[in-house]
Amino acid sequence: MRKGSLLGLSLVLVFLVACLQPAAAAEKPIIIGAPLSTAFLYGWDAERGIKLAVEEINAAGGVAVGGKKRPFAVELIDTRDLEPQVPVSEALLAVEKLILEKKADFLIGGPVRSEAALAAMDLLNKYKKVSIITTGVLTPAYTKKVEDNYAKYKYCFRNTSHVGVMIGEFTVLFDDLKKTQGFNQAYIMVQDVAHARGGGEAMKKTLTERGWTVGDMKIYPTGTTDYSVGLIDAAKKNAQVLFLWMDMPESAILLKQWSDMKSKALPMGFVNAAEQPTFWKASGGTTEYLLVNLVNGGNAPSKITPWTMKFANAYQKKWGIEPEGYGTSSSYMAVYQLKAAIEKANSVDSDAVVKGLEDIDLMGVYGRMRFDKKSHEIIPSLDPKEGAVTSIIQWQAGKRVQVFPPKVADGKIVYPPWAK
Amino acid sequence: MEGRVPACGWGSAAGGGDASPIRSNRRAGVIVEFLLYGIINSITLSLLSLGFTLVYSISRLPNFAHGALYITSGYIVWLLLNRLGLPYPIAVVIGILATGFIGALIYRFILIRIRGMEISEIIATYAIGLAIIEGLRWGGLRGMTFTLPPFFPGSVILAGVSVDYQRLSIVAIGALTFLGLYLFTHFNKLGLALRGIAQDERAAMMLGIDSDMTAVVSLAIGSGLAAFAAILLLPLGNIVVEAGYSVLIYAIAVCIIGGLGSWGGAIVGAFIIGFAQILTEAFLSSHFQMVVALLAIIVTLLLKPSGLFGKQKELEERV
Amino acid sequence: MRRKERIDRGIKVRTEGIYAISSMREILYLLGPRLLLIVGLILLPFILQLAPYWARVVNIMCVYALVALSFDFLANYVGLVCLGGGFFVGVGGYLSAIFNTYLGIPFYLSIPLATVFGAFLCTLLFLPCLPLRGVYFAIVTLMYPLLLTRIIEAFDILGGTNGISGVDSFPNQYVEHYAIIVVLLLVLFGLRRFVNQDIGLVLRGVKDNDQSVRASGINVTHMKALAVFISAGIGCFGGAYLVHLYMWAGISLFALDFSIIPIAAVVIGGGGTLVGAVVGTFILVPLSEALRNLGTFRIVIYCVALTAFIVLKSEGIMVYLQRKYHQFERWVKV
Repeated sequence: MRKGSLLGLSLVLVFLVACLQPAAAAEKPIIIGAPLSTAFLYGWDAERGIKLAVEEINAAGGVAVGGKKRPFAVELIDTRDLEPQVPVSEALLAVEKLILEKKADFLIGGPVRSEAALAAMDLLNKYKKVSIITTGVLTPAYTKKVEDNYAKYKYCFRNTSHVGVMIGEFTVLFDDLKKTQGFNQAYIMVQDVAHARGGGEAMKKTLTERGWTVGDMKIYPTGTTDYSVGLIDAAKKNAQVLFLWMDMPESAILLKQWSDMKSKALPMGFVNAAEQPTFWKASGGTTEYLLVNLVNGGNAPSKITPWTMKFANAYQKKWGIEPEGYGTSSSYMAVYQLKAAIEKANSVDSDAVVKGLEDIDLMGVYGRMRFDKKSHEIIPSLDPKEGAVTSIIQWQAGKRVQVFPPKVADGKIVYPPWAK
Repeated sequence: MEGRVPACGWGSAAGGGDASPIRSNRRAGVIVEFLLYGIINSITLSLLSLGFTLVYSISRLPNFAHGALYITSGYIVWLLLNRLGLPYPIAVVIGILATGFIGALIYRFILIRIRGMEISEIIATYAIGLAIIEGLRWGGLRGMTFTLPPFFPGSVILAGVSVDYQRLSIVAIGALTFLGLYLFTHFNKLGLALRGIAQDERAAMMLGIDSDMTAVVSLAIGSGLAAFAAILLLPLGNIVVEAGYSVLIYAIAVCIIGGLGSWGGAIVGAFIIGFAQILTEAFLSSHFQMVVALLAIIVTLLLKPSGLFGKQKELEERV
Repeated sequence: MRRKERIDRGIKVRTEGIYAISSMREILYLLGPRLLLIVGLILLPFILQLAPYWARVVNIMCVYALVALSFDFLANYVGLVCLGGGFFVGVGGYLSAIFNTYLGIPFYLSIPLATVFGAFLCTLLFLPCLPLRGVYFAIVTLMYPLLLTRIIEAFDILGGTNGISGVDSFPNQYVEHYAIIVVLLLVLFGLRRFVNQDIGLVLRGVKDNDQSVRASGINVTHMKALAVFISAGIGCFGGAYLVHLYMWAGISLFALDFSIIPIAAVVIGGGGTLVGAVVGTFILVPLSEALRNLGTFRIVIYCVALTAFIVLKSEGIMVYLQRKYHQFERWVKV
């Protein structure tokens, strides 16, 4: 009896193991290294995006290369680079660990902080590893470096966006507000980091050129806990739009003060704190009416391409939450782009895959995805048929509603009742 | 990307065509605004540093785990509210008591063994603080969606300046706290004992006051005050572990300027930094706020290391 | 009643005098531990050819070891507890990056130049706070790196928050390894020699009783400045090397990790032994690397370890080992 049950148990176990093992696992997996700062939104949402895509691809048989079907495997590593007071060398060491010890074939994800990513470019060249940056890094300097020195940095790609592109999108939105609402008074508040300051400066310049009056631009050090002086000043200067660019948690304080003061200016911009779907509830609804740039379409449920909702539903099913914010859809798509490039090159050799990535042209979660051949930046557009589209959402009754670009908008911008 | 915003005072750029009465009206508003937010900022800073300075003044322990305790208490209250569904007031009381208890434990089991070795105290408390902060992060306190509800939602307009009730209540409760502490240490037996220890530990011990016991009590009260500050201030924003670091820096800054170990000094120090920050934002540029605070610490230490109201003997800190 | 008695080993007493070279055994007793360290360090890059990633960790480890040495020297021989190790690293790193990228000086010149100029600059900046002692000096030095970070950020100078990239790297892996290993050994043994010279005795006098040093007609501030110069130079070299290792300089060079990890290493290794700082780093850094998969939990682990060492075993590993090596214990009747 006992022997029999033991045999039965082991049979069941063998069966289970056989079932769990995907069919393609027989071949050597292609290892994707994901250097991410996993304690932060831009880290864990990217991780979830990558894992979801890998799971889908492996379930469908894997990557066809050299006449075989090889699966993907993910090696995740915590770079800690978004934590304050951690040196960038820590993140670089993590990247080296992925390459040297975990034998990563390709890198997707980070390093997440701009300066760490810029510093890692030289390492990528040293080890000749292809990397697709999908989260955190918004500085135009990244792809500019590729353009300036293609031979050295050709292994670096980025499939999200950068400050320059985002400013262009905001400009279109501002023009629209001017035309339809007659707004012409703006006020800018940014965080004291390079990308935010760059964004603020560029926005100020552009708005002034386009006939807006910019009341002032306030630059807040990371960790500021009181924005009242700026908000009162904005009210005094009759600002109709409050343009924000911050990725620090304290921006939640700003939103609360904005809501408590019943400030008349419509807040919009890049606000990291207000991206997550659970933020509305956590903030007690003070984030209502805020317009947030999620950088890429698909980071909130919307109907950009047929794939967008499919992705959002799959994400919801696997992780129990809507796609969370910047870095989700791009990390997911990067895996598919890599797959396409490897299949096109029919090789996992770095130089061949670089060529493959330059040549692929696929319709993804946030529109048509092609890399610029010189700068390796994804080609942006306001039309999903032409290029990668952004997602500017507005918080409406606790939901993130896509309001821009107009071609793929799900709703119209709503104005706070006290702003009349 | 280069080029900074020029320094911009109030009313300098906007409204050039205003008639003069409105202008003077606006000027009055500016003064009210400046005073009001200066006071709010200063009280906030003094609340942040009160626990730190209390512990140092009584038991000469630099409690570098102060910021970590601040965040811990916020997280405890959040857990009680959202996981156990306790009513807000009860959660707050438990949060403060629990944090005070943690403080007492830290002294009873760790600091008691290294009492008197200043550098070991700094390193040990800092390490404990770091362990708590990173432990919380590892344990799930990540992202920006952890918030406490404000006690008093809404805002009011005072002399043309909009201010929310939560901030006003901070000023009121902060002032009451200072008063309460003053009364406690001047008219209560335990409070007097604490003050005795603070003034002369040996003499106090000869009079039968247990130095270790008072240290436990001081650390418990100091941690409780950190929790108290957290519960008042966290509803303004959200609970993130990074705040643990900045709270510590602000607490140190305030205490150094006021004089380590002097309570009155801490409040004065808080007002100096608080108003300096508001002035910096108004007349220089907001991103110099932290530079001003840090420079203030260094300049104070160089010119008058014992701070404005420090009770340390000159000989103890310099050659 | 019995108690434990501790007695020097015979071989230790013999090797202290002229008899040190009387037999192979004595020579080995004397040289063994030193050779183990020197030969071990020099061979390390070859052994780690098998694990290329760990070879990279060795470089970082040596940088931390240098910073730890500089902390140990300053804290335990001069009595200045400097919590701003990151300040030295940052100044050295930035200077080297500036020399290399802005002025085009090759790395073999920019690193020494950054070391000397950096040490000079740090001493100059620390000069006003040298009269401070104890907790005051500790706090002010903790603020220095924070302030410099904020200044670079606020004025957007030296590359602002993006940092300076495009710094030259080392020509090959061996130069990379031995540049730091050789310097580490030189600094370690050099410092040991230095603290036992007359001047080292004066520095220890500054720590123990500065009034008596002053009474002997020696300027205390001069002595402290000299000590800070040496210590800062060591830290600056670490920073300059790091910048060339990763071809990049930025404000994170001032990070708190560069101040905290070396201190933890000194506490664990044993303060005041110098070699303890190195041993502590060689335990702590690889341990921290091995625990990387645990995410931020590894910080918790090493903080708990640090606290435990401070509270329970404040002498550190090295002092304990030295005692076991030189002495034996036995029970005696009282």
